[in-house]
Amino acid sequence: MANVSIRGLTKKFAEVAAVDDFHLEIGDGEFVSLLGPSGCGKTTTLRLLAGFLQPDGGEIRAGGEVISSQALLVPPERRQMSMIFQSYAVWPHMTVAQNVAYGLKFKKLTKQEIEKKVTKLLGVVHLAELKDRYSAELSGGQQQRVALARALVVEPQILLMDEPLSNLDANLREEMRFEIRRLHEEFKITTVYVTHDQAEAMATSDRIAVLDGGRLVQVGRPNEIFDRPATRFVAEFVGKANILTGRFGGDGLLQLGDGVKIRVAGGSECAPSERVTVCLRPHNISLVSGDAEARRLAEQNYNLFPGVIRRSIYFGDSVDYTMQLPSSGVLRVIAPPTQRYEPGQQIIAAAHPDTCVIVRDE
Amino acid sequence: MPASQTGTFRRVGYTGWSAFRFKDPTFPVWIGAAILLVFLMLLPLGAIFRASLWDDTGLTLNRYFEVFTNEQFLKAIWNTLIISTWVGVLAVMIGALLAFLVTRTDLPWKKPIRALVMASFVTPPFLGAFAWTLLAGPNAGALNKLYRAVTGSEEALFNIFTMPGLIFVMALYSFPFVFSMIANVCELISSDLEDAAEILGANKWRTAWTVTLPLAMPALIGGFILAFLQSLSLFGAPAILGLPAGLHTITTQIWALFQYPPRLDLAAAFSVPLLLATMALIAVQKKILGRKGYSTVGGKGGQKRLIHLGLGRVPVLLFVFGILSLSVFLPYWILLKAALSKAWAMPLTWDNFTLHNFSFAFFEYGDTQRAIYNTFKLGIVTATLGTLLATLIAYVTHRNLFRGARYLTFFALAPLVIPGIVLAVGLFIVYTRPPLVLYGTIWILFVAFLTKEMPIGFSQAESTFKSIHPELEDASRIIGANRLISLKDITAPLARSGLIAAWSFIFIGVIRELSAAILLFAPSSKVVSVVIFDLKEEGQVGVIAVLGTLMLAVSFLVILGVQWFAGRDVVATRE
Amino acid sequence: MKKVGLCFVMLAGAVMLASPVTAQDAALIQAARKEGKVVWHTSLALPSSTAIAHYFQNKYKGIEVEVHRNGSQRVLQRFMQEAAAGIKNADIVHTSDAGNFELLRDKGMLLKFTPQGVAAFPDGFKDKAGFYYGMRATLSVIAYNPKVISEKDAPKTWKDLLNPRWSGKMVTAHPGYSGIIMTHVLALVNAYGWDYFRDLAKNKLHIVQSANDPAGVVASGERPVGVNGSEYFYYKTLKQGNPIKIIYPKEGVPLVVSPVAIAKDAPHPNAAKLFTEFIFSKESQQLLADKEGLYTGHPEVTYPADKPKLKELKLLTADADELEKRNAEIKKRFTELFGA
Repeated sequence: MANVSIRGLTKKFAEVAAVDDFHLEIGDGEFVSLLGPSGCGKTTTLRLLAGFLQPDGGEIRAGGEVISSQALLVPPERRQMSMIFQSYAVWPHMTVAQNVAYGLKFKKLTKQEIEKKVTKLLGVVHLAELKDRYSAELSGGQQQRVALARALVVEPQILLMDEPLSNLDANLREEMRFEIRRLHEEFKITTVYVTHDQAEAMATSDRIAVLDGGRLVQVGRPNEIFDRPATRFVAEFVGKANILTGRFGGDGLLQLGDGVKIRVAGGSECAPSERVTVCLRPHNISLVSGDAEARRLAEQNYNLFPGVIRRSIYFGDSVDYTMQLPSSGVLRVIAPPTQRYEPGQQIIAAAHPDTCVIVRDE
Repeated sequence: MPASQTGTFRRVGYTGWSAFRFKDPTFPVWIGAAILLVFLMLLPLGAIFRASLWDDTGLTLNRYFEVFTNEQFLKAIWNTLIISTWVGVLAVMIGALLAFLVTRTDLPWKKPIRALVMASFVTPPFLGAFAWTLLAGPNAGALNKLYRAVTGSEEALFNIFTMPGLIFVMALYSFPFVFSMIANVCELISSDLEDAAEILGANKWRTAWTVTLPLAMPALIGGFILAFLQSLSLFGAPAILGLPAGLHTITTQIWALFQYPPRLDLAAAFSVPLLLATMALIAVQKKILGRKGYSTVGGKGGQKRLIHLGLGRVPVLLFVFGILSLSVFLPYWILLKAALSKAWAMPLTWDNFTLHNFSFAFFEYGDTQRAIYNTFKLGIVTATLGTLLATLIAYVTHRNLFRGARYLTFFALAPLVIPGIVLAVGLFIVYTRPPLVLYGTIWILFVAFLTKEMPIGFSQAESTFKSIHPELEDASRIIGANRLISLKDITAPLARSGLIAAWSFIFIGVIRELSAAILLFAPSSKVVSVVIFDLKEEGQVGVIAVLGTLMLAVSFLVILGVQWFAGRDVVATRE
Repeated sequence: MKKVGLCFVMLAGAVMLASPVTAQDAALIQAARKEGKVVWHTSLALPSSTAIAHYFQNKYKGIEVEVHRNGSQRVLQRFMQEAAAGIKNADIVHTSDAGNFELLRDKGMLLKFTPQGVAAFPDGFKDKAGFYYGMRATLSVIAYNPKVISEKDAPKTWKDLLNPRWSGKMVTAHPGYSGIIMTHVLALVNAYGWDYFRDLAKNKLHIVQSANDPAGVVASGERPVGVNGSEYFYYKTLKQGNPIKIIYPKEGVPLVVSPVAIAKDAPHPNAAKLFTEFIFSKESQQLLADKEGLYTGHPEVTYPADKPKLKELKLLTADADELEKRNAEIKKRFTELFGA
């Protein structure tokens, strides 16, 4: 079973904890992303998983056996893992075929067997006709595919990927995201994927672990992370978010600064007078102009925010509005382009309570 | 592609991890290399300190007292200070001027000029000194004869057997170091800074004076210190030019203390201040230049516009080639002439022509063949093992393999601080008594050369590693190769040209080394530099010229080989 | 039958009598061949020592002579240095400083060995204890370059050299390197005192190391006057066609006898003995006189007509014991006076 168990993992660099008491369980064959801004410790975690670094505290288990701890470090070459790097790390003095074949040297296979596997994998990543080229002759995308083939041909138990798409341009990145997901579906290798790009994480992962300051902030399926962010940080990092703060009155409603009261998901259970932070996604807000429409939504318990359009940016497939609320707060709304509102227009924003999610203010 | 078409992987469980509960198995290699390095450096230094401070009665400062109250010794120290200071100044003047002309002006023929600077670098100073005795001995020297013939004067133009003569020759063979250092800096100075000055009204020369010069000042000071240190530790040139004039320097004085009956303790006591002074100067140099060893002049360099020399080209070229003829053309010519002449001071007429010197040197004089064999053997073995050790150590420090690994850099570079003859004193004390008597064999020379050339090998290896992305190695490790295999399969091939350069620097350094060899050689372990020195003491001009020519030819072949093999311009990339 | 046998015996006997090689010699040669080489540390000039080595190698094929040539004081230093480190490399030691051999003998570092025929040599060539014998002898003389200096102007005596007109025009070798010069300095110090050298130093002499070096310096015209130097090398240089004239001062010419001895711990003792026998043989000693311009102690050797006979010169000799005792003093004072 190629499951990974990370418990209490800590790594310090000169007294500063890059990874701080990190816990995570990764199931066999699961694709988990470590998502976070730069400096959050995700790459350090990955390198700890690979065995390039030794923990200062906690442990890492693979298949139930300890492979990293303060006292023990199984060297990278014995971990049966593969890794993909941001810089591709394709060896420039070897051909594509030689790069891919290299890892098989250590598996005691015959020359024919190696050649067979190499050819097969090169076919899988669509690089068969480039097998005798050198990395200097390849594009970034091609090099990354060489790296993938090289990593997969050794049939690793665990695959580690360190921001593999960051150096590629946008179109290629999209294409490669799908490619990576496809390969995962095909080979079902336990994968840990590090990225700062939430769209990438969402597109590829079974679960996403969000990191900040060396700590795990939230882990869950993409829709959980997106719809039910645990903290303000997650809310703002993964997708766009409006952050509202207020207090609970005894009536289960959240009172915002300007007196507006709204219903929030799970709000009825909250104790009165607690200061609370709420996340509301711009995509989940609709704009209504007519009173009739507004009243209808109010009956369905929608939260209503009256305000004035400050700015409107047209993106073709959507329009990005900034609304000025009377309390001097702003609300960002992303609405379909079917209706267009102009700056200065009085408008009411409406959001279903389920989309108003309480988050911890971290 | 559906899974069924590609087949499924064998799902192997994670069993048997318990078999691997140990640290990285390549660890002993790194620790071993580190320990070897520390031993190499500490043993001789420790021996010197001990020999100078301890005698049968215990800790004592007697030796220092003896050294510093002896008039002759004090004179030697004074001579050394004066000589080194002047050499530093001259070397900087020549080196900086040439560097500026080559990097910032549109002087033509830059490649040949750089090659000639390289030739000056490769020429051992003692050989240059010897050649200059033939050129500028006050009565028989070729140049002086020419001068007298042309002007009808009785006097000599220039007597090389004087302190100014010694300073002149030493500066001629120190300036290449300064040249490299300053050329590197000049190439980094962005023209933008100079453009700014010009827009404000300064002409190109004033700009050079007021903008470029201050920016380069730290490098100039650093260059001065470098040349100063170099001349502190030279032995051959002072012995050849100074002793006939009754001038001792610290190095020749230390050597004299080895004459029978030897005073090793005094030699050690003499060495310690030299060592401390060198350390202090290097510390000052580091401080001035910052951690990189050359001043990081603002920015990545930017656009460089060259100063147009216009009609000034011709006089400048004459000047540049004039200097290079002093260090290269004239000495090499006179060496060749002496090698082919019966009487070196006479013109090379058909009467005077002979191949006897060659035949004697190679076929009759037993020492030559032995020495050539020893020199090559030592050169190849030291270069190979030295490159290997330097590579391992550079790997350890670069990857910071264990706590405190970075401190190894200090040990690898420490020999820069130790003048060759001082190192020899220490090694002599250590290896002429049990448990390990290496004296009398070729291996004490090996240890000396390995130690002395470590800095150049290490810094070359280090900068090579820095240019290789660490992820290339990580990629190999994760896929199943341990550190050593990764080093062999991935890093080493990529580092090839850098490591070849390291090998050749060490090789050339070894074949021309004199100041340590002169104390440590035994009759059966003579090397060519020592043979040349011995012959000089006997006055066998023809044979010296032949061997000197051989030494130069080999050095050039190696350099050319490296340039061709590794495809790099060895002059351009200096440490 | 009997007649043939008798003739045979007589023939064999005649052959045996005629052959210079005795049974004892043959054994030595065989033992020496087994050892294969002899290591010779010598201060004899390089061309000369190489030539001797070649003569020996030609005569006794299969025995290599490894020549290590350096100045007398250097030879001693090397030998002592190696001995101190427990290294036994050298077979034969040969320098021009008799004091060296007193020292070595007293330290028990020499082998007692008397080569054949040496009994006939003059006393100055023999160590009474039998450890070392004089292989060659030469003089330390004045020389000048006749192309630069006329015979009229040339210095004729040691005292002439003190004349300020020679300032910047003279060359001296160094007792710190050369045994010949060590003897020379001791002899002149005994004759004139250290003041002589103090005054000589005022003339700003060019300092070289080996007693053979001044010949080249004078011949090239670099310094036209040599205040000392080995007579044999001056003579050889002259014979090669170079401009040299030798002066044998009438007040006295230092005679330098150069001893040779076998090291006690010689790694090739038999080869060493054979080599020693060789260099004291008439054949070899005559070679030294004919080809190398040297004097020898062998009574049957003849010398070139253009060399002065030793009997005709006033010779200054130095006592080996005194040489040993005053070795350090001479080096020190000379260095102080001349600067290096």
